[in-house]
Parts: sequence; structure tokens; C-alpha cells
Amino acid sequence: MPPILEVDGVLKRFGGVTAVDRVSLSLEARHIYGLIGPNGSGKTTLFNCITGVEQRDEGEIRFKGRRIDGLKPHQIFHEGIGRTFQIIRVFPELTALENLLVVTTTDYAQARARAEELLRFVKLEGLAGEYAGNLSYGQQKLVEFIRVLMTDPELILLDEPAAGVNRTLLNDLLDAVRQLRDRGKTVLLVEHDMKVVMGLCETVFVLDHGEKLAEGPPGVIQTDERVIEAYFGR
Amino acid sequence: MLGQVVISGLLAGALYAMVALGLGLIFGVMRVLNVSHGPLLMLGAYTTFWLFQWLGLNPYLSLLVSMPLLFLVGMALQRLFVRRVVDAPELSSLLLTFGVSIAIVNLAQLAFTADLRSVEYLTGSFVWGPFAFSKSRVIACAFAIVITTGAFLFLRRTRLGKAVRAVSQSREVAQVCGIDVGRIHMLAFGIGSALAAAGGSLVAVMVAIQPEMGQVYTFKSFLVIVLGGAGNYPGALLGGLLLGLIEQLSSLFLTTQVNEAVAYILLVLVLLVRPTGLLKGRA
Amino acid sequence: MKRGLLAAFCVLLLGLAVYPMAGTGYGIRFMLQLFMWIALAQSWNLISGLTGYVSFGHIAFFGMGAYTAGILIAKLGWPWLLASLAGGVGAMVLALVIGWPCLRLKGPYFAISMLGLNEVLRVAVSYFEGLTGGGSGLSLPALYASVAIYYSMGLVALAVTALTYVIVTSRFGLRLMTIREDEIAAEAMGINTFRYKLYAFLLSAVGPGIVGGLAARDQSYIEPISVFPLIMTITMIVMVLFGGKGTIWGPVLGAVLLFTLQEMIWARFIYVHQLLFGAIIVTVVLFMPRGILGVLQQKYNLPRTI
Repeated sequence: MPPILEVDGVLKRFGGVTAVDRVSLSLEARHIYGLIGPNGSGKTTLFNCITGVEQRDEGEIRFKGRRIDGLKPHQIFHEGIGRTFQIIRVFPELTALENLLVVTTTDYAQARARAEELLRFVKLEGLAGEYAGNLSYGQQKLVEFIRVLMTDPELILLDEPAAGVNRTLLNDLLDAVRQLRDRGKTVLLVEHDMKVVMGLCETVFVLDHGEKLAEGPPGVIQTDERVIEAYFGR
Repeated sequence: MLGQVVISGLLAGALYAMVALGLGLIFGVMRVLNVSHGPLLMLGAYTTFWLFQWLGLNPYLSLLVSMPLLFLVGMALQRLFVRRVVDAPELSSLLLTFGVSIAIVNLAQLAFTADLRSVEYLTGSFVWGPFAFSKSRVIACAFAIVITTGAFLFLRRTRLGKAVRAVSQSREVAQVCGIDVGRIHMLAFGIGSALAAAGGSLVAVMVAIQPEMGQVYTFKSFLVIVLGGAGNYPGALLGGLLLGLIEQLSSLFLTTQVNEAVAYILLVLVLLVRPTGLLKGRA
Repeated sequence: MKRGLLAAFCVLLLGLAVYPMAGTGYGIRFMLQLFMWIALAQSWNLISGLTGYVSFGHIAFFGMGAYTAGILIAKLGWPWLLASLAGGVGAMVLALVIGWPCLRLKGPYFAISMLGLNEVLRVAVSYFEGLTGGGSGLSLPALYASVAIYYSMGLVALAVTALTYVIVTSRFGLRLMTIREDEIAAEAMGINTFRYKLYAFLLSAVGPGIVGGLAARDQSYIEPISVFPLIMTITMIVMVLFGGKGTIWGPVLGAVLLFTLQEMIWARFIYVHQLLFGAIIVTVVLFMPRGILGVLQQKYNLPRTI
């Protein structure tokens, strides 16, 4: 099976700073990946390059064999990649249901049915008519999470899904992610919470200062000296 | 002919650069597009006019009055109004300064009437070889260069200036370094207004003074910022000179009316091709 | 409650429909202009209120409609109603030409690019002097049609309000609003923000275009200063901000309140009037950014169809 996403030597500069320094990754389908690294290691920038929010300066990004670098965010969405954001980006003046309905889908009735199904999936069906801005932090996070799933994307990028979420909600979220994987999806998450990463991810990439430092199963990464050095200083 | 045009362009450009730097400072530090920049320039011009009218004060000396005066006005505007929308979506500050600009222009209409005024001070030209340049233009350019240099020295050499640059780059980091961001915002708005006032005082001897005179400078200042890159202070200088050049050059080929549209079309073109400005800037 | 409101609304419409038979010349002109302002404010709301992209040069579409219709009437003898509709089309074309490059720019930069629009059009008018009469203006053959124009303006105001209602309650409208809320997230959700902004922009130009044509007919004379004045853009903006941008009835409320006040008090003191508008904008932005209806909506948790 060819990899579903290939990041090939991607480089991104901001002025004098190289945020992403020739990073290469390869993601297989039906797999949960983690992307970790100290603050400023380039994780979100890499996400942004993959989803078209930023344009990489060098390198290629291929999704299912097709190049997607250079595409605009809404086009990348239509290719089948969905993402959440580090700072929650729900639409505050739209209701929870409307937040889901705006996602570009074709049939309205179908979209509505799916939206309601997803709300039930995370047990938020009672808040469907509530303005998203009035929901609690955790609830907003969930809405953003299921919003990504509206069109059933094949690759899902989650930017710090565990941040600020209480334990119970977190477990539900993690279960949801596992279910997605079982259905054949690929999930790549950026995360600081090591317990989440070690418990959930099958393969972990480590970034430091924009470079890929290590790659492997969580157990191996945990004991990798370079990784420990990167996190705890030299 | 070409030489004359080029140098005229640079003379005008220096003035544009100074005024635009004022706008650029406000935008760079606060991310606020100050639509009332032109009206502030207008107030500077009127200051010079009235001082000339009542006291016979040399227009160039009036810079010593108009600049501090508008500096205070700018700080007051920031403290009273702009401060509250710095964190709101950028459109709020845009609408706010738009409202302020309307208020200022109409206060001027009420106070000064719409009659055209002028400061008859300097006429004639300096002749230099085959070229002739109006005296007021040359002197305005000289002052603009001095003032702009002063502004840059302030930004580069003084602690306060460095604080301003720090806040322009990252508010959070500046705060963490102990910089009183609120004060810097006020300062930036004050300096920006003072630079606009300087522009007003300098053009007071060259153009007809009336309450609506500032609008075109607001727009051109935006254009310069876009040309030079938002947040890029040296870029504003280049942008100003570039605008001056382009205007003079296009006046060779186009009628004066169409010339006004040139600035606009140029703006749209640049924004499309390089939204962050011709030089490196922060969008 | 809803049925009662609907009934009241129908009664109002009926009243407005028969008003010309009883009203004075002044009264009819007053209402005619009020309808015009409702149409203008409502249209501005479509782009600026819903998508958050502030259009500072919107009066350009009014002027474009006025000149298109004016030229068709004066030079080609078109009937004024048709000419006004053509004015709407002309305005849409202008919106396409301007919007295509400018809407690719992010919010504040778009606003800047619209600031200069008025000037460019004024220049264009003088450039094509043969057609437009340049600075001396364009005269239309005299015609008294106040009542007919009253109904026309009224219909346009009604149509634009209805259009706003349809948009706000549709997915199209929701997507427009996401642009206002968070353009980056909107793009990430697959919304081609450029295209949506363009549609909204085009739709927002039609109303002013038609109304511009009708106004030209009404005045029987157009000149650049009268159809491209900054004060009209300011007025549109104040009406919508005051009444509540992004709402359906906000622009109507703002138009009714401010136009009435304007006619009764301020029109005689033009600079005070403009000054007050500037002050209102500042006050609304600082203390009441969502306008009257917006505040009520939040306080009493009213539905979006207000």
C-alpha cells in the first residue's frame, strides 16, 4: 500500500528563521501518528504547510500520490484532508449545528443527518441550537473535532486535541480517534501531553528546531537519548 | 526633461515617505490602519496657517508648534479611543478611525469654514543647471529628510525607540521583557501624528488648505506602506520615493486627472501581486 | 407572536402602498428617499455586515447605476424603469471588475483598496466627458414621476430586505458569516472564501445600482459630486452600524431612525450633521459594535432572523 501522505524535504522560512528544515515523513493509512517536539520546533508550521495555510519554500507534499503543495486550504480540504487548530476556531456566532452545516457538502438533508449523528457521537445533541461561542472550552473542542469529520476525510490532522480538556472528555476523544483508525482513517496529531501520545499513537515523529530528530514507536522514542536531550536541555 | 522629472519625483517622494512613516509606525506597532492620518496632516497645515496669519510666524518655524501639538492630539486619540479596539478585529479599528476622521474633518469645516486658505511665503525656484525646482518643494524635502532621519535615529539608537520596534515585532514578547505596551502604543500614535503634522506644515506653503485636503494623503500613505511592506520602516522610505517617482513619471504620459487614478491602480496591482509589499513586510 | 408580527407587517405594507393617494408631495419624496436609504443600507449590509469585509467605496455602485441609467435615458431614450434595471446590471459589472482583484485581499487591505474607488470613478467620469457630461453633469428630459418612483424604490427596498432574509437563513449565508468569524477556519472547512465574497459583493451592488438609476430619474440631473459623495457612503455605514450589522432588520431600523432625524434636524446644518455621524460611528464601534438590534439579540437571545 502506498503511503497516504508523503512530506518530502519540506523547508519553510520566516525571515531569517527556518521553522521547518527539510523534514520528510511518510504516513500509512489506518494508522495513528504523533508529532511531538519542544515549543517552537515547527510542528504547527508543518501542519500549516500540509494544509495550505502556509506555502512551503522547498520540498514536496504528496497526498495519495498527488502533489498538494501549492494548493489553497479549501482545495486541500476537498482532497480529503481535515484539520483542527491549536487555538479553537469554531464560529462563535453560529450554533453548534450550524458550525457543522457550513462545511462544504452537497446534499443539505444528508449534511443535516450527518451533523446530528456526529453530535450524538460526542453526546452534544442537546446543545445543537446553542451558539458555539457560549459553549464551554471542552465542548467547543468537541465541536471542532466533529466538524472535521463532516465530510469523512481520509487524513485527519489534530493540533493539540488534548489541550485544556478534562479527563473524561479526553478519554471519549481518544476512543473516537481509535474508532476513526479502525474505519481506515489516518490520524496525525500534534500533542504535548506525553501520556496521550504514548497511549494513543502507533508511530511518533519528533521535531526539534525544525528538523526531524527521530521516528518510531512510542516506547523506542521515550528512551531515545536525543529526544530526551531536546526536551530537557543540553 | 527626464532628469527634472526624476528629481521632482524624489523631492515629492521624501515628503510622502515621512508622512507614510507616521502611518506605518501606527500600523506596525498596533496593527491599526489610521484612516484619520490625512485629517491629522490637515490640522498641521491649519496650525501653520493660523500661526502665519496671526503672528506672522515663519511656516518652517511653525513645525516646532504643529509637531508637538499633534503629538499630544495623537496620544489623546489613542488613549481615548483607539486603545479600546486594539484587540478587536482589525475592521473595528478601521471603522473607528474612519469615524474619527469624519469628526475631525467636520470640526475643521465648522471651525475654519471650507474656504481655501494658503500661506504665501515662498515663491520662485532654485535653478541648478538645466533644472528648476520650486523653492518650497526643495525646502520641504530637506525638512522631511531631517525629520525622517531624526525618527530613524530615535528608533535605532534610543531605548524608547527600541521598545517601539520590539512591540512592533511581538507584543507578547515585549510585555514579557517589561515594556509598558500601553505607553508605547500612545507614543507611537503620537509620533505618527506628529509626522503627519510635519507633512501638513510643509505642504501648507505649497497647496490650498481646506478641511478635506488630507484624504488624498491618507490614501497615498497607505499605498506607500503597501509598497514598502507593512511594518517595514525603512521600506516606507523606499515606498515613498517610489511613489513620488511614479507620479512624476506618469504625469509625462497621462493627463493630470488620470494621474490621480494611477496611485489607486498601482495600489490594487501591488496588493494583488505581493500582498505583503514589495519589500519584506508582515501582512 | 409571529403571526401578530406578520399581520402588522402586512398592514404596514398596505399602508405604504396606499400612502401616495393621501400623502403630500413632500411626504412622498420623504418616503421615496427613505426607501432608497433602506435599499442602500441593506445592500451594504450584505457585504460588510455578513462577511465583515468593509466596503468604503460602496457609493460607487450608486453612481455607476445613476450614470448608466442616465446615459441610457438621455442619449438612447430608454424608458426609465428599464434603464434603472440596466443601472443595476452596470453596477454588478463594476462590482465584478473591482471585486475580482480586490476581494483576494484580506479584510483591512480590501478596505483600503475600496477607499480610493470613489476618486477613480470621478476621474473616469471626467475622462469620458462626451458620454457623461463630465463636470457639468448630465441632464435628463424632464419628467414628473415621483409616485411611480416611490413605488419602484419601495419595491427595491423590499426586494433587498427579502434577499437578505433568504440569505441569512440559508447555508450560503452561514458560509458568508464564517468569513466574518474566522476566514482561515472557513477555508480549512472547504469554503472557497473568494468565491463567496464575490457573490456577496455582486449581490450588494445591484440594489445601489438600481436605486442610483431611479434617483437619477427622480432628480433629472446627475453630476459627479452628487452621485459619488463620501457622505453617502458614510450615511450607509452609520445606518447599518447603528441599527445592527449582520442582522436583517438592523439596516432598516438604522435607516428609518437616522434618515428621519437627518431630515428633521440635521440637514440644515450639514457639517454638524456629518460630525454627528462621525461621532455615532465612533460611539457605536466603541460601545455598541453590534448595533441596536445586535445588542437586543444578545440580551434577549433573539433568533438570527431579526
